[in-house]
Amino acid sequence: MDDHGPGFEPDLDEGSIVARAQDGDLAAFEHLVLAYQFRLFRLAYRMLNDRGDAEDIVQETLTTSWCGLPMLADVDAFGGWIFRLATNKCLDVLRKRAARAESILGSDDMDAIPGARASPVWAGWDPAHAAEWSAEQDGLTALLNTLPPAQRACWLLREMHGRSYAEIGVTLKISPAAVRGTLARARHQIAEGMSQWR
Amino acid sequence: MSDPPLQGAIITSQLIASLATRTTLETPGVLRIEPSVQGFLARLGPAALRHVRTSGSQDGTYRHDGVTATISDGTARVHLDIATDIMYTALDVAEAVQQRVRESISHTGLAPGAVDITILAIEHRRGTTIT
Amino acid sequence: MALDNIPRLGCGRSIDSIWASIDRSPTAHEEQCKQCQTARIQLERLSAATRALRESDLHDPALRPRPGIKNAIMDVARAEVRRGSRILLRAADNGATEISEQALSSLVRFAAAAIPGVHSRRCRIEIRPASAGLASEDHQSGTTGTATPAGPRLIVNLRVAAAPGIDIPVMAEALRQEISNAIPAGVGIAAGTVNITVEDLYDV
Repeated sequence: MDDHGPGFEPDLDEGSIVARAQDGDLAAFEHLVLAYQFRLFRLAYRMLNDRGDAEDIVQETLTTSWCGLPMLADVDAFGGWIFRLATNKCLDVLRKRAARAESILGSDDMDAIPGARASPVWAGWDPAHAAEWSAEQDGLTALLNTLPPAQRACWLLREMHGRSYAEIGVTLKISPAAVRGTLARARHQIAEGMSQWR
Repeated sequence: MSDPPLQGAIITSQLIASLATRTTLETPGVLRIEPSVQGFLARLGPAALRHVRTSGSQDGTYRHDGVTATISDGTARVHLDIATDIMYTALDVAEAVQQRVRESISHTGLAPGAVDITILAIEHRRGTTIT
Repeated sequence: MALDNIPRLGCGRSIDSIWASIDRSPTAHEEQCKQCQTARIQLERLSAATRALRESDLHDPALRPRPGIKNAIMDVARAEVRRGSRILLRAADNGATEISEQALSSLVRFAAAAIPGVHSRRCRIEIRPASAGLASEDHQSGTTGTATPAGPRLIVNLRVAAAPGIDIPVMAEALRQEISNAIPAGVGIAAGTVNITVEDLYDV
């Protein structure tokens, strides 16, 4: 049951599509959902390592964007804005997980730790077994998961999604220069980790 | 969902609503009746919105997805939210709907009151190509 | 200040500057410096792995949300759809007819799509309502004189992006014509005023 309004030209520039979605055009908004849902999912999945949580992020982010769209001043800022919404939602989820893990550990009730949520997938990963991984990428994602959340977000936004330093800075509430420093530390740490593989 | 009969009348507002729906959908140029929560609430005003229950039909009023039918004093009034085909002139489509709905109401023995129409969307009929 | 946080090798070079130059051949210093060479090899490996991960994630069908997610998003959007304000087209004993600003906008955009080299963007439609016609006139001088039949007067404000190199005055005039014809044909009322604002150029 898609609503395709009249005159929706498939070769429209993104700015025009965003402008129409701002006016309430469902077909234009659907186009944006299709254009961004996979990208946002990849970001969220690499941040959270949980399909269900990543799907929640995609859904919440794009739903929120529908309501916030009319307030967006610059149509060309849509991409940066939507990535910012999604990144911050991911960081919120990670903060909640950390808090939950802490309170559970504090209560001495070890059985209550929800495995998939509280312990990241890399927990059992051992650099010594790196050679057994079929692809170096798996090792890379494992190392990625050892980075602090904001650093990981920074690396993903830059290296996987090509977002600008200025945009990442706004998202993480740091200066573009600090983004550069964060990225360098992330790369350094991952490269160091990789050097321990054989 | 049916209304208590009003003063011995056997025509319910639900019947009027379904009659109006059918008549509207048969009118050339109408794409669909538009279920719009917002449109409905906008008419009622924000205060009313907290009291809305989809099935609630008091005082002879029936509401369902884009159609509101009210019977009072032997007169039936209808409000319709519709989407029209871009190949038609919307105002003409609305006028045809008003005439047809009023006529079908008159066949029930009730007096046709105002048939108010909101054109919520103008679109291409599905399956037609946009050139 | 933040630059001080960038990790540096013992030789003083930053990881950042090595990363920035791994696509180029080594500098004289790098050819001499063991630490730089090691760092370079590590970062080259990271760079290759990063590229490979980016590509494989992009094409990995498992790294996509299930289709239901899109539908759920669109369901919410549809339920909270913005139709803009309503414009009274005609009030008669048979009943009143009004139209949403969005329905009018989509008609305007459809008309605009017929003109090459222009993408319509936001569309605002103001109205001087039917019947209220003369009473509410008007800050514009000279428009009050004649008694026009009581139909709503529309003021269409359409913002557009134009293709680079297009003759803007010609395009704007064609656009205004097209819209002025489309509104009577599609809605059944006069077009009123059509204002076109070219706000951007789009990439072809």
